[in-house]
Order: sequence, then C-alpha cells, then structure tokens
Amino acid sequence: MSTEQNPKPFHFPPHHSFPPFFTLQPTSSTRASQLSSWSALILSYCAHHRLFSLRFPSALALPLFCNEGLGRRLRAGDVKAVLAWMGSAEGGGRVEWVDGGGKKGVGTGTGEGEILGEEGLTGRCWVFWRRAEEWAAVVEEWVERTGQKGVVLTLYEIGEGEGTAGEEFHGMDGELLRRVLGVVVKRGRAQVFGEGDGLGVKFF
Amino acid sequence: MFLRQIDLTTALRPLLLPDETLLFVQDSIGLYEGKYKIPHYQNGHAYLTSHRACYVDNEEPRKYSVAISLKEVERVEFYAGFLKSSPKVTFFPKLSKRASLSLRGPNSANISNTASPRTPPARYGSPAHSLSSPTPQVSVKATWICPICSFSNPVPSNFDPSTANIHTPLPPCLACGIKPPLVHVVKATISSMTNRQSAPIAPVPLRPQGPAGNFAPSTSSDNLSDPFATPTYRCPRCTFDNDPALVSCEMCGTSLVAMDRRLDLRDGVNRVESPGPSLGSAPLDHDIIESIKFSFRDGGEKIFHERLKGAMVQRKWLLESAPPVPKPGRNSGTFDDGPYAGSGESLDRNKSVGIAALERRGMELRKTNELVIGNAFEDLEALMTSAKEIIALAEQFASQRNITNGNTTETNALVSQSASALGLVTTKDMLGSGSNSLYLSELSRNLAEFLTDDARGILRKEGGIMSLVDLWAIFNRFRGGVELISPTDFEKAAQLWDKLKLPVRLRKFKSGLLAVQGRDRTDEKTIASLQSWLNSLHSIPPPDKVSWDWTMFGKGVTAQETAEHFGWSVGVATEELEMAEERGVLCREQSFDGLRFWENWIVNLPT
Repeated sequence: MSTEQNPKPFHFPPHHSFPPFFTLQPTSSTRASQLSSWSALILSYCAHHRLFSLRFPSALALPLFCNEGLGRRLRAGDVKAVLAWMGSAEGGGRVEWVDGGGKKGVGTGTGEGEILGEEGLTGRCWVFWRRAEEWAAVVEEWVERTGQKGVVLTLYEIGEGEGTAGEEFHGMDGELLRRVLGVVVKRGRAQVFGEGDGLGVKFF
Repeated sequence: MFLRQIDLTTALRPLLLPDETLLFVQDSIGLYEGKYKIPHYQNGHAYLTSHRACYVDNEEPRKYSVAISLKEVERVEFYAGFLKSSPKVTFFPKLSKRASLSLRGPNSANISNTASPRTPPARYGSPAHSLSSPTPQVSVKATWICPICSFSNPVPSNFDPSTANIHTPLPPCLACGIKPPLVHVVKATISSMTNRQSAPIAPVPLRPQGPAGNFAPSTSSDNLSDPFATPTYRCPRCTFDNDPALVSCEMCGTSLVAMDRRLDLRDGVNRVESPGPSLGSAPLDHDIIESIKFSFRDGGEKIFHERLKGAMVQRKWLLESAPPVPKPGRNSGTFDDGPYAGSGESLDRNKSVGIAALERRGMELRKTNELVIGNAFEDLEALMTSAKEIIALAEQFASQRNITNGNTTETNALVSQSASALGLVTTKDMLGSGSNSLYLSELSRNLAEFLTDDARGILRKEGGIMSLVDLWAIFNRFRGGVELISPTDFEKAAQLWDKLKLPVRLRKFKSGLLAVQGRDRTDEKTIASLQSWLNSLHSIPPPDKVSWDWTMFGKGVTAQETAEHFGWSVGVATEELEMAEERGVLCREQSFDGLRFWENWIVNLPT
C-alpha cells in the first residue's frame, strides 16, 4: 500500500540532502548513526503518509530513497541493509518482511542483507511505525471511546468502515489488523470468531 | 667540574663537538663516584669519543647525561670484575683537583702536607697552571654576546681561554652567523669564570682569619712549619705572601679570591665521604671528585678500555688549538699564517685583473689541491692528519662532477655531502661485542638524527612523510657503500623509534606500507588540518552549481584534491583521509564521479 494518502508534503530532515547520507558508511560508529537516522526517517515518512508496508521495487522510487533535487539515491542493496537493520533487535524490530521475507532475499541480520545487496529488491515489508502492541492499545482506546464494548465488529468495519475514518488505523491492511487483534485477544480483552472476510471481533 | 652536563642530539646521543669522533658505544652502564653509586646514573649508554667519555641515561637522558672530558683525566684504571662485581673503568681527574680534594677533611691539611708536602705548592706556583688550575674549563653556562646582533651565545664547552689562540675554531653566532673575534670570547669566558668563582664567596672580611692551621690550604708549607706565624696568603702566581684581607695579589695582581673555594669545599667533604651505598645527590654540583667509575654490567669494558687508551694517547683535543696545515704561500718557502693569509692574497690579487687573474687563481687552486693530495697520500699517517682537507676536496670534486653531468638531483647532492657526516655513523665495530640490540638501537638513533637533521631536511623535502624503503635506499647510499645495512636490521631499527622516544615514528598504513614521519605530525594534527580545510569550504562557493546547501555541508573532497592541497602524494592522501574516516571525523560518498570525503554530518547532525 505504497500510495500516499497525506496531501501535506513531508518535511525531510536536513541530512536527507547531505550527499554522503546516500552512501552506506564503512566506519562502524558512523554507520550506526547513519542507520538510526535512516530508520527514523523511514518511520516518520511512513507515518506521515500512513504507509503500513512498503512494496519493492516500486518503493525505491519514493522521494524517501531518491532525492531528485540532490541527484542522489539510496541503492537497492543499501535499502536492503537499512531495512534489515531496522528489522533486527538493534533497530527495534520495526520492519518485518511479509511472506517469510528470508526467501525473498532479505534476512533479519544486517550482514545477510549486505551479502545479497546487489540483487534485485522485491517483496513487501511491514513498517511498524507503531508496533502491533501499540496498535492494539490504539484500537482498544477507540473501542472504549466510542462505547463499542461488547459489540461485535467486523474487520472491515474497523479497517475500512466509516466509523474509523479519522483514526490512525483507518486503512490498515487486513493482515496487519488481524495481528493487532491477535495481540488484544492474547491480553484477554477481546474475542475473535468467524472466518474469512466475515471475521468478527468482540471487545470486552 | 669533572663531570659535566652535556648536550644531546635529537636522537638523544651526545652532541659531538667539532672534530670530535665517536669511538665506542656500550649500553648497561652505571656510574660510581669513588666507591659509591651515583643515584639516577645507573642505567645508560656510554659513548666514548675522541674527546670525552659520555654517559647518557636511558630513562631521563635530558636530565641525567654527563661527560668526562678526557683532557682532564690524569689516568685510567681498569678493573676486570670479580664474582658479582662488574668490570669497571675508573677515571682519575688531574692532580690539581685531587690535591685540593685531599685537603678537604678537617685534619686533612696535615695529612696532605705530610703525604706530599711539595706537590700543591709546585702546582700552584707554576704560572702555566695559574689561570686554569682552579677551574681549567669554562662553566657550561658561560655566554658571549655577539657584537653584531647582541645575541647571547653559549661558549663551546671545550673552549679553554688559557690555551685558545687564533687557530682555535670558534663557532659563529647562532643568530647572525658571524664569527666573533677571539678576544671577545676569551673575555666573556674569563668574566663568567670570575663571576662564578666569586659568587659563592662572601666578601673578603668573612674569610677565616683564625689560626694558621685553618689556613694551611693556602698550600704554604711554610705555614705548617711555623703555625703561629702571621697568617699570610700566598699568591699562586708569584708566591708573594699577601695579607689575608687582600682580594688580589699585591705584587702581581692575580685574583686571590679563587683560592678560597677550597675552603668552601671542606664542607662538601663530609657528605662525599659519608658511608652509604649510594650518594645523596648527583655529583654535578660539587667540583671535587676523587674518581669516576664506569661500571660495565653488560660487557664491552675491554674494547672501551682499549679505545680509551688510544684516545688518551692520541689526545685529539690538542688539535683544537693547533694551527691548520700550513699552506704554501705565493713565494715558495714562506707560509701564510691563518688569518693573515687572506689579506696577503687580496693584496697580490689587486695587481692583476681580468681573465688573467681568474686563470691565475684557478691555477693556484689546482696547485694547492695537488699539494694537499700529494702530501696526504705520502703515507697513512699523513692521510689521517689531513683527512679533513681530503674530504673537503672529494666533496668539491663530487659536486663539480654533478654539475658537469647535469643530473644534480637533491638526493645526489645529499649523497655527495655524506662524507662530512661519517663521524656520526655507528658501525658494528664501534659497539660492544655481540650485543645486536645495542647495534639496532644505535642504528635507530643514527636514522633519527639523519632524518631530523635540518641541514638536509630529508623529511621536509618529501612532504613530511616518506616510505621506509626510500629511506633505506638513501641511507645506504649516504653510508657511501661502507657498512651497508640489511633491510631486516633497518626495519628493526625503525621499529625501535617509539621505544627510544625518538622524534620520528614509523607508521604502518592499512595497506601494509611502512612510512616514516616526524613524531610531531600525529594523526590528531593531520585531522585538525583536514578539518580546518573542509571547514573553510563552507564559506567558499563551489565553482559549479551544486544541489546541496554548501554553506551547511561544505563540499566533498577527493583524494586527488587533498593531495594537491597538502602537497602529499595521492596514496598518502587516501590513507590519511581513510584514517580520518575511521576516526569518525569524515564520511564518504561513493558517487558517479568517484569517492569523495565529507565532514561527518551523519553523526553530528545539523539542526
């Protein structure tokens, strides 16, 4: 879902226009700083445009990875390395590849991502600008606020329904939403029943 | 001042005086005064030169390094060592000092006078020693003021006003390079000597006026024979008995103040003779020393002693005041003499002018050269004595050959100058037997001296950094084909620079290249200069239009640009940039037009 939904332009941080920012640094201390800067940039960009996942290779053309004005772009291999770092424990597990990820050529460790660097980057990855646990809290808070406890809601109602139009999780991918609800169920605050598209959830 | 503080070179070796040559080096040396160890002087190198025996401390060479001037040595004793006792070489100072030393004890007057009643008066009565005997040498702190630029220069420590003559080599002024008139230096030396002597002495009335027994040190044996006679003070020069209140001899005007110093020295005697394993203080401060022992804890004593004996026989220090080799004058049979030669020639030269005069001068020069060479090669002895002239000639020929060949590169010039520095070079036979580590450390010091010599400026010419291989080549050429150094020894010696705290360092680049650079050129300094350069790019608009905010980020530089800016080679520039990158100061940008280095705004995010 790499379509931009926010009409307001994203304000890039100054280092996005610093040419060496688009070259992955070999020095470890500099590299660590660079990776965390990239991670913060990607998360805030996705949050701004309400992107829950990035689909490659089309996402490589986003202004995020490609600064047209500067004439610099982050190469696919480096993007892979950045995303791999974000998915690692060091990066806070902010990225997760859909469909197992690994077989698509990107692992969870930075090293693996580098080795596969120059190969084509394809596939889709979740960008957790909020983690599943945080989403669960947001959804619960909405249910509480709108007094829908005990009411059976379909996933469609939560994700796409008119009732959630102004909420952050509006437009959330069904798969991600199911994961979020799984967290709520695990906490014992809801119950999921039904199957397929008719999946229903009841908060209590 | 039997032991004298010495000056060291940049490589922490003794600074050799003009005409001084190095004879032998040995490490693991300790110093004794009399029977006692001298504190702080227990682990060092001994350097035997033609003029001096030097001790250079390993730990604090600048502070604890002393030398004995061989000309002040009366005799040398050799002790071969026994069980745990190391072999030792003992230096006894000349008699004048020892005589006064033996006078120092409370009852020493009687002892000394009964032991050798005639010796002291004989010494002091001799006019030849009157000037030099109390302190035959100048204090190291004596200075002379240049009459041209009024710079205050140190008097060379081997300068002796009593023997100086017009042929004594005088160093030029350090500031303006003009040689001082001899009289000027002699005056300065003498005045500093008298200052020094009178300084510790109280005004005249304080001089002991008691019974004659106290006064016995005035070396008059008459006083002894008649202890209750009116105390008198015998002039050392004319033997006139002066009233003790007088400062200078009534008869001849010689200063009598100097003699009082022996009275002061009595106080020192208890300290020196107090039993104890080592002395409380270094003996530099007090002048009277019974003997100095060099203790050889790691061998080498035999060669040291042999060479020392040789040096004592050769007495090269006498050459300082000897006139230069006489040159044949215009009229055969008469010899021009030193400074007068120049004026005589110039008078003659005025008579003929033009090309004829030039040709004549050339002819004369060739004749002189012929004569010098002819004399020198007559026999080996002659060659030794005129070595200096021969070397000068050889260098001259070498430079002429270079000019005619038209290939005067700097390195060639360097090599042709080499002979003059031969005295500095350590060869394996100068060193104690079998101590390879000593050879390496000496070689290491040699190298450091070679590199830091301002006259040659090797490092400066190479942009402050040069590869070890280049240095090896130059250094071996510089040795003139003698005692060539193996690459292994050379690398080992270079690796000792750090350990020996020498002013150059060996740098290993990531590629494995070994390079040599000054110790003061640290990574921090290189980084600082890189930073200030990159910083300056913030205010200079780039020539082409750039897409980024150059006032904020400056500009990326390539290794090529860096090399041009700092005068380095591109290889060195790359290494330096990568070094700075590794330290997190720079970051890189791999773009279409190559690798560029930027200030690290990735870590120091601009706000």
